[in-house]
Order: sequence, then C-alpha cells, then structure tokens
Amino acid sequence: MTELTIALAKGRMLDEALSRLARAGVRVSHSALGSRRLAIEDESGAHRLIFVKPSDVPVYVEHGIADCGVVGRDVLLESDADLLQPLDLRMGHCRIAVAACADEYPAAATGALRVATKYPRIAAAHFGARGVPVEIIRLSGSVELAPVLGLADCIVDLVETGRTLVENGLEVVEVITESTARLVVNRASYQLKAAAVSRLIGSLRDEAEREGAA
Amino acid sequence: MFEPLSHIPDGMRYYSGSEARLRRGCEDAVMAVFDGWSYEEIETPCVDYLALFERGMGYAQAHRAFRFTDTDGRMLALRPDVTSSVARAAATLFADRARPLRFCYASQVFRQQQLSHALWRRESRQLGCELFGVAGVNAEIEMLCIATEILNGLNLGQDFRLTINSVEIFNGICAHLALDEPRRERMRQLLDKRDAAELQKFLAGYATTETERASFARLTQLSGKGEILEAARRIITNPRSVAALDHLGVLWRIIETLDLADCCDIDLGDVSGLDYYTGLTCKIYVRGAGAQVGSGGRYDHLTANFGSPEPAVGFVLDLDSLTDALMRRETAATRPRAARGEATPLPRPDTDPAALFTDARRRRARGERASIDGAR
Repeated sequence: MTELTIALAKGRMLDEALSRLARAGVRVSHSALGSRRLAIEDESGAHRLIFVKPSDVPVYVEHGIADCGVVGRDVLLESDADLLQPLDLRMGHCRIAVAACADEYPAAATGALRVATKYPRIAAAHFGARGVPVEIIRLSGSVELAPVLGLADCIVDLVETGRTLVENGLEVVEVITESTARLVVNRASYQLKAAAVSRLIGSLRDEAEREGAA
Repeated sequence: MFEPLSHIPDGMRYYSGSEARLRRGCEDAVMAVFDGWSYEEIETPCVDYLALFERGMGYAQAHRAFRFTDTDGRMLALRPDVTSSVARAAATLFADRARPLRFCYASQVFRQQQLSHALWRRESRQLGCELFGVAGVNAEIEMLCIATEILNGLNLGQDFRLTINSVEIFNGICAHLALDEPRRERMRQLLDKRDAAELQKFLAGYATTETERASFARLTQLSGKGEILEAARRIITNPRSVAALDHLGVLWRIIETLDLADCCDIDLGDVSGLDYYTGLTCKIYVRGAGAQVGSGGRYDHLTANFGSPEPAVGFVLDLDSLTDALMRRETAATRPRAARGEATPLPRPDTDPAALFTDARRRRARGERASIDGAR
C-alpha cells in the first residue's frame, strides 16, 4: 500500500532529486520514468511520486494531497505556504540576486525603483526591509530583457552560473539569499504518518550528509 | 456596475444534503460529550469590540477579523474567536460563580484574512470547551480525555493524533539565550517549520559552541512518545525548560496509564500560538485533513486581561475541517448519523387538504417522517 506521496518539481532539479531519492531507497523503474505519466509508484510500492510545476509543489503538500515534496528554497520563499521544511538536501545550489546593468545602478531614482521579477514577494520583502520604494513588475520569463529594454531598473532572479546575465549585459549587484533544494512535509502527515516520514527524512539526511562531505 | 448574484465571496460556502446532516450529527455528538463532562453551553455575541480580541488573541490574529466601526466610532469585529469572549465573561459576568467553571460552545467564527491556503475558509464553526479555575494537571488531563472521547466516538480508529507540548520549553531556551522579541519570533518560525538547517545558521550568533547549536537544532526532530523527553533532557539544561519537561513527564505517565499513549504524541517542535498559551499546548490531526482540525492548551494569563487572573485550559475543534476529513473517508459506516427513518408515502396531494394534513400530523405524532408531494 502506498504510504507516502512525494511531489517533485519538474525542471532543473528533477534528475538530481530522482537520483537522490533512489540512493535513499525510493527507486523508480526506467520504464515508469520514460512514460509520460505524472504519477508513478516506486519499486517497493510504498511511495508514489507525482511530477508538478515547481510552484505547485507547496500547493500539493500544503493541502496534504502530497505528504512530502522536493522543491527549491526560492519557490518556498515566494509561496506563503504553511509547510514543514525539515531537511536541506544540499543540492540544486543557486542564488537569488538583484541584477542590473552595473553602470546604471543604483538608478538616480527620485521615484520608485522599478524591479522586474518572477519573485514579487521576495523582491518586495528585500527592498521593503530597507525602506526602498519599489514598483514590482511581475514577469513570467526572460526577465533579463527588462532592464536592457528599459522596462525596469533591475531584476530579482535566480542565478545559477550567471551566464545568461553576462550575455545580456547584466551583472549581480547584490545577493539576496542562497537557495538549495528542501524536503517539505505536510503538517498533518508529519504527525499521522510519523514513522514513514521520519524514515524518509532519515535516509535522505544520510545521503545529504554524504553528499555534503564529498 | 453589474455584479452577478451567483457569485459567492471567497472562503464562504453552502452546506446541504449529506454534508449538512454529517455536520449536524458531528456537532451533536461533540456537544453531548461536553455536556457529559459537565460543560455548560454558552453563546457569545457575534459582534464585539475589536479591543476584546486584541487582548484575547493578540494583535496579529485579531486583525485578521472583519472590522467595522460602531456609531460612537469604536472599532467592532465579527468574532474571530470565541475564547476571548468566554474568558471575559468568566472574569466579569461569572466572577462570583464557584470554580471550577466549565463552558462549551458551538459558534461561527469569521476572519477576513485566511489563515493559510489549506485553512481557506473565512467562516467556520468552532466547537470548543473552556475550564476556568484549575491550575494542576487534572484540568489538562480532563481536556485530553474529552478530546479523545470525541475522536473515538467518531469511529476514526487509529486515524487521529493528539500532539502535546509546553510553550515553557521554548520560552526557557529563549530566556537562556537572551533573545530579544524579533529574534525570538524568528527562532519560533524556524522551529515551527522544523527547519534545522536555517535554525543552526541562526543560532550561530547566540549559542556558543558547535555542540550547543547542533543540539538546539535537534529540537526540530523531537516528536514521538515518552522517550522524546529523555532525549530533550540531554539537550536542554536551563531550569525553566527542565521544569516544563518534568511537567510533560508527569502528564505522559498519566496518559500511558489511561491507555491514551497510542493516539498521543509529544511534539517539541510545536511552537505556534506562543503569545496566547502559558503551558501545555495541544493540536489535533485527523487523517484526511491536510491541516490540524483542532487545537488548545493552557492560557493562564488571558483572564487577567479582563481584570481577574485565574488558571484556564480549553480547546476547539474546527467542525468544517473535521467534517471535510470525515466526508473524504467515504465509508458511510464511520459517519455519525442523526437517527432518521424513511419517509412513508402519504396520500396523493390531490386529496382533500384537511384529510392530507390530518394524516400527516398523525404520522408526525407517531414520530414518522412526513413528506408531502408537490402542492396542487
């Protein structure tokens, strides 16, 4: 019987998350992975994996439809989901940063700083904490274009290697915070499925520590 | 401007059919248990001064309420909780009554701002009980007994869990680390999210040694049965926290003797509602609900806000979350059901109304259901 449903974020971290889970004992067959099914069982049948957009991972877990999830800290900071975050998986390292054309930043702003971003909450909290008035411009992709074309003075975005920034004439002017993948757990599942959840946390913690030591 | 009347405000909903019957059955079952433990029903005003809730629930929670102004300019609120009002009544209206004083209620509460995505309702029905005037473990055990009796009565089997903790464990640690208010709140949030990684980073500035940091971060993992307390004693040494651990130890031994240990857990990571509770806290989880369905604890400082300090404990169940979970469990057998017979067919409505209703009233007098077909 399925004990735990685990939501995984599709995209940049999925392969790493799957191999980490496999080493922690949650293995899925190649044929199941090769299929286009969005919900598959692992070989033991004790876990069900579901694949959703990163920003939907906190939603599934908060409602208890998934018991656990693997998702970047960036996504968690942006969502205001009420979740437990018992484990830093120490993978999918990146930074959330303010980037701009360096010679034009900080803009000689008398009004509000215009910030283009996919992370409006993080951006508002960051500038708000310093009392800087900002106009947040919410975009859903190709954020780097905004300062180049004059839509915004700067951007707040995820930076992995920084190559996209450089190629668009931007650079990191300020790092807001670091982000790694986190294991998140539903509050009710944490209590009601305590044995299964703590087994999963335990084996993932061992793997994360091995990874961190290497 | 045209607004379709079909639209319902966010966080509000209708209940009907089997769901409404389930709610009624559930509420009756819960209220019967409260009554069985000698709790007297109380109805509090639905509209009250915002200041009452600010004092009762704390500023942040009270300000989730729907607020408006009275004719004299004072701020009113649609009640966001019932406990504040019951505590005021205990301290004022019922000040002269003999203690212990026991009240229970089934009341709607409202909030303009949702609590979380999973707790999305802005109107919900709270079933709660409050016990005033008893300081010791007896009041706390009474509360746990009532809660488990209710949940067992709903035929949930093993599918519910009560977690207990004492806020004094966390308060002792914060005092020991000499944290100011914003830092205490930051540490509370990290512990509440069981975020060991960030907690360890945060503690870097306060706990002196690596070992001390690692051991406080271990607090996030301390959830389970009685052995948790032993593990906690190895980590925590400040007298205030140790006294709280001792108290939990006493409670746990009684819980074991009463055979409640299977459905109870100690959870040292539960640190929500710190400003409200002064000792024991409790949360109730039911399989099928993604968030807690109830919570409670000891709040010895609350009635002092209304001029008469006295010990108090209480808990509430959220009828909406509870019945959501019961509906999802689907097995009709587990649902409490108000006794209700099948309606026996009445004569056709085209018979003489006097004869029709004479017959219907006779059936009603015998306790049968009457269901009259469409009017002619």
